[in-house]
Amino acid sequence: MSHAIEVQNLTKIYPGSGEGFLAVDKINFTVDRGEIFGFLGPNGAGKSTTQRMLTTLLTPTEGQILVLGHDLAQNSYPAKRQIGLVPEESNVYTELTAWDNLMFTGRIYLMSKADRTARAEELLKDFGLWENKDVKAENFSKGMKRRLSIAMAIIHKPALLFLDEPTPGLDVQSTRAIQTLIRQLSAEGTTVFMTTHQIEEANQLCDRVAIINYGKIAAIDTPEKLKQTFQQVQSVEIAFTSSPEGLKEKLTTLPEVSTVLKIGDKWRLYTDSPPDLLPLLMRFSEKEKLDIVSLNTLAPSLEDVFLQITGQQVGSVSEGPSQQKADRRRKKGKQS
Amino acid sequence: MKIFWKRIKDELSQAWVVTLKDIKVYYLRPGMIMFGFLMPFFMFFSFSVRREMAAGEGMSRLLALTIFFTAAAAGPFIIPTERRLGTYDRLLAAPMSLFTLLLGKIAVGAFFAIVVSSIAAIVGILFLDAAIAHPALMIVGIFIGSFTFSTMGLIFGSIPTRNPGDVQMPSTLIRWVLLFVSGVFVPLSEMSTVARGISYISPLTYAQDLMNHAVLGTGELALWLNLSVLFLSGIIFLLPSIKLHKRGRVLGY
Ligand SMILES: Nc1ncnc2c1ncn2[C@@H]1O[C@H](COP(=O)(O)OP(=O)(O)O)[C@@H](O)[C@H]1O
Ligand SMILES: [Mg+2]
Repeated sequence: MSHAIEVQNLTKIYPGSGEGFLAVDKINFTVDRGEIFGFLGPNGAGKSTTQRMLTTLLTPTEGQILVLGHDLAQNSYPAKRQIGLVPEESNVYTELTAWDNLMFTGRIYLMSKADRTARAEELLKDFGLWENKDVKAENFSKGMKRRLSIAMAIIHKPALLFLDEPTPGLDVQSTRAIQTLIRQLSAEGTTVFMTTHQIEEANQLCDRVAIINYGKIAAIDTPEKLKQTFQQVQSVEIAFTSSPEGLKEKLTTLPEVSTVLKIGDKWRLYTDSPPDLLPLLMRFSEKEKLDIVSLNTLAPSLEDVFLQITGQQVGSVSEGPSQQKADRRRKKGKQS
Repeated sequence: MKIFWKRIKDELSQAWVVTLKDIKVYYLRPGMIMFGFLMPFFMFFSFSVRREMAAGEGMSRLLALTIFFTAAAAGPFIIPTERRLGTYDRLLAAPMSLFTLLLGKIAVGAFFAIVVSSIAAIVGILFLDAAIAHPALMIVGIFIGSFTFSTMGLIFGSIPTRNPGDVQMPSTLIRWVLLFVSGVFVPLSEMSTVARGISYISPLTYAQDLMNHAVLGTGELALWLNLSVLFLSGIIFLLPSIKLHKRGRVLGY
């Protein structure tokens, strides 16, 4: 059987001043049927751009996309019938009730009346919206709207579901509910493609993760294997009884230490080689007359891997590409 | 062959679902009421009060105005609004052709125009004693004109933007220009040769003349010409909309 998604050489240059803006740069990947595939990257990395190309909303500049075995450039109709889409803002028709939103979507997907009413009832009950089925969506909370949006995307039981940033801006309960839901869908056999800039979400939900940065895929693997690949981003966590002024600077000057972060009452020291750092730390504490409360070596987290790949400062997930880098990318777009 | 007809049937039903949904969602929106429902009456009264006018003449003019303004108001309002809210993506990603989606959107504007002009017609007949020379032709004219001008409005709605304001300006401007070059406020028979030549460019001229045929029983142009021009321009107006939608898909709207 074909892959759920197969992408070759996919490129998007947004037309604009000069040669335009290179948002996705010759990416290749496949998504297997049944898996939860995470598309992880900082804001502006090209996640939505990619997803919009995969769902026919955006015309690629170059490259080939097969969705459920169908070439989108040839005939997107059979693929469109089998996919569900939760857009980035996951918007519903606020003037319509939850029920009418689902009925509308069911009819657009050519479901019979019996099918769509039965399915809508099932979904609204599952999603905790049944009591509010006749309430206009404008009165819904953000979490309720998001759940309704997902219900609309799966009313026709798509084989492949796309979610663009399903949880940011939601409270903890709604986030949990949506993550549970995604797992459930996956268990029932739906393939899930989701974009996220939340590392922990990708770590907990996804079978495989692609890390995208500046329009390029930097790595694709299971979360655990990604962590193993990046053994160099290991760290040692140490807590002292006190933290006198200037301690951070002193720790930073230790050989073997690349970055120092303060996390609560602990210090996290990033290093290529914890075994070499430990004796240094012992001597350091004696010299500075500091007592050690605890000392741990830590394996890299997915966050560490992500930060390493995206070249961002450890501990500071920046909100988007810096202007300078964006400019550089524009130039690159010109050359290609 | 059977599959082909099934697909046609499916697409038509999808277009109809889009139309019904839009009617439900947008009929009470201030932007729609303002530009779609009130504007034609406002135009009618501000340019007609000072002139002595027979009821039939007023009726015919009001019908042309309501068809023109109401039908052409829906597209430029609804599509950019849906793009801004992100709900348009749902429709674009749905398993239906672009033509089907556009057909659904055209029918919304046409529906509003048919309702508003029917109300105008009923009021005219009941309260102004306007006599309608050819009622059947009037109904045909309302239908065909509503679809044509809705398709015209759709061109503006198809401009890739997420801001209805971007589109409202040019679309209102064009409608005003068309309004003043067409034989609505100044009858074709009273126009100079040049003005008359210009008026032939505007499809509204033919809609007005068609309404004159229907209500007054006489027009300056041949009936078949009015009907064919309206019908053909309705189809030709579809092409820029399709092009603009494809452009939107490239630009990322
Ligand atoms: N329609 C557009 N026109 C021009 N540039 C765009 C457009 N949409 C997105 N971009 C740019 O492309 C880059 C990738 O955007 P996007 O795919 O939305 O990122 P992400 O979803 O990963 O946050 C960003 O730098 C963004 O500014
Ligand atoms: Mg995004």
